[in-house]
Amino acid sequence: MAITRRELFTTVGKASVPAAIALTVGTKTMAAEEIPMPNAAVGLLYDASICIGCKACVAACAEANDTPSDTRTDALHQAPSDLNDLTRNIIKLYKPEDGSATSFVKRQCMQCLDPACAAGCPFQALHKDPDTGIVTWTADKCIGCRYCTITCPYHIPRFQWQGYNPRVTKCELCSDRLDKGLKPGCTTVCPTGAVIYGPRTVLLSEAKKRIKTNPGRYYQNRVYGETDNGGTQALYLSRVPFEKLGLPELGPESVPARTLRWQRRLYQYFALPALLYAGLVQVIRKSLKGHEHEAHEREKETGLRAQL
Amino acid sequence: MSTAILNEPGANVAAVENARWERAVPVYGFPVVNPFFLCLVALTLVAFGLTAYRELYGLGPVSGMNDAYGWGIWKTFNVMVMTALGSGAFAVGIAAWVFRRKRLHALMRMALLTSFLAYACGLLLLGIDAGRPWNFYWMVFPWKWNMHSPLAEVAICMSIYAMIPLALENVPPVLERLWYFDSRLRPGVERLERILHYFFPYLIAAAYLLPGMHQSSLGALMLLAGERVHPLWQTPWLPLLYLGAASFMSFGCVAGTTMLCCLVWKRAMDMEVLDEAALITSWLIFAWLGLRTIDIIFRGALGTAFHFDRFAGVFWMEVLLTSMGGWMLRRSLSNHKTRWMFLGYILSSLGGMIYRFSPTTLAFRPNPESLYFPTTVEILVSLGFISMGIAGFLLIVKRIAILPAPLSEWHGMANYFWFRRPYIRWTGYFKYGYFGENEPDTKDPL
Repeated sequence: MAITRRELFTTVGKASVPAAIALTVGTKTMAAEEIPMPNAAVGLLYDASICIGCKACVAACAEANDTPSDTRTDALHQAPSDLNDLTRNIIKLYKPEDGSATSFVKRQCMQCLDPACAAGCPFQALHKDPDTGIVTWTADKCIGCRYCTITCPYHIPRFQWQGYNPRVTKCELCSDRLDKGLKPGCTTVCPTGAVIYGPRTVLLSEAKKRIKTNPGRYYQNRVYGETDNGGTQALYLSRVPFEKLGLPELGPESVPARTLRWQRRLYQYFALPALLYAGLVQVIRKSLKGHEHEAHEREKETGLRAQL
Repeated sequence: MSTAILNEPGANVAAVENARWERAVPVYGFPVVNPFFLCLVALTLVAFGLTAYRELYGLGPVSGMNDAYGWGIWKTFNVMVMTALGSGAFAVGIAAWVFRRKRLHALMRMALLTSFLAYACGLLLLGIDAGRPWNFYWMVFPWKWNMHSPLAEVAICMSIYAMIPLALENVPPVLERLWYFDSRLRPGVERLERILHYFFPYLIAAAYLLPGMHQSSLGALMLLAGERVHPLWQTPWLPLLYLGAASFMSFGCVAGTTMLCCLVWKRAMDMEVLDEAALITSWLIFAWLGLRTIDIIFRGALGTAFHFDRFAGVFWMEVLLTSMGGWMLRRSLSNHKTRWMFLGYILSSLGGMIYRFSPTTLAFRPNPESLYFPTTVEILVSLGFISMGIAGFLLIVKRIAILPAPLSEWHGMANYFWFRRPYIRWTGYFKYGYFGENEPDTKDPL
């Protein structure tokens, strides 16, 4: 017998009371969700307008992280075309065809306040430090699924394609050097001070001061990373539009908060799945009883053992 | 026997009765090993060899994956698409057990077996695709899970589902085989069956909750990719659309495979069951298409469907195949042509496959623009793992009662083995009613 209307209504009715409670409780906590700012958030401030593209930071990064030089493409020292499994930091040149303003850009992890890579990472191999806010990768927890390379809106984490024991490479703001009281490698060598290291609040006020003293010098007179993608700890100033430098306009809401809102709500406390499970058990129990009864009737008719 | 005539208006009532699927019967009289089977085994072995090579030298040398396209066909086809085809245990099961379309119980064993094989092969390849699979052991510690990650949801939920509820749902046919295999095993088998039946409602409910969760989370995976998925596909409704696609595709897979098996092994088709499956599938397809259209219109992405680019091409191919499939299924209900029904299943499943394949691959626009095409090795491994599933299917349906058949098929099998396997009689199976043929006559003669 198919599910009756009465049974459907009563089941839905019974299920909807706790579901409604769960949803309202869940909604309240969701509304309160804010991206927590790490209390000792550190970061980088990169001013593209004073970068001279000397790539000293690229070499210093490799040295600080003890990575061998990437000579795979043309046997040249430290001249990869993009970030890769040996390159955490790179200088690129934006040079439009029409001869308008050019700009260098330094690419490395933005250390987002709400990182999409960590939001997607299944076993928390990519983890944001609650104090410094640095997003680090732990080899022992990574299953090598490469979801971080799909989710990162800045396309930063890179997977090692060679070898049986691949690693994920991204800038970790030289967190082991910071522990020793040193600065990140890239900031120690910059001849023009285009990239500087410090607490995020200090860097932000410095960037705003630069904008104030040079009005009209910077694109939109704003700091990229102050609110973009929920805020990042690497801050950018530039003369050319940010999206030309690989920093897309993502809006003030972070990617995980924007896209996973419903996903998070539905799985909150695992309440809705548990309710659904209880309802399913009830319905299936009844179906099973009817099905078994019919099967045994049929068994008597045919003399053949019932197949359930 | 020709089966198409059975559903003609005014068909012989007795013929319809004789075609009614009463019982799952193993495919008898066909050898397991044949050239096709050997080809499948060869493909599987080649895939295993290449897999060993991949484990030693990494993903780069064997695959076309790169920094822009971090996911290749092993994930996007063998997992995203094949497990959608293998959601039969979920979709057909819900129709049969929750909505009590009891005719569909005839298809349940097919659904359970195809699901299990699709999931098992997909998960094995997922383990090979993962760069550091030894770290999967974290799955055992729930407090290490990232509860809000769609990928954690998929990886954990899929493995648990395939290893526990789905595997256990497939146990009854195996126990049944043991029951018939040797009469001395019967008390033990019956005890096991009683235990299994006690837990059955809990198992079946888990077997519907878990796929519902991970098939939708497969869609949620691409939500985090944001703008890089083309606007025709990127929508907050992606999880629901993925689940919907999985449900009609798996109906197509289960019913289509059953029809194909009936054709190949010359079995009668029960048109009452197939018509019901086709009706449900067509409604699922139209509901899915409706949701997809409404979503695209309300998000204002309809304009991009009329750009002359590959995305629009893929989109129209998907929509045309799916709607054409749904329409053919509908037509087959009124014109009673099994050919239309079968083609309807094939087309709609193809459309669904394109849909499930698109957000990760066909409609994925990495920045900077880059290309991905699977290498020969990648394709061979992917095919090899699908071949393994098909070979397993061919072996199992010939040894275990999976395919539904009329009662006459069961008696035919008993007669067949009575002459060809005389030793069955010496070991005493027939004494206790092997195949139910020599059951001691305790019934009232009238």
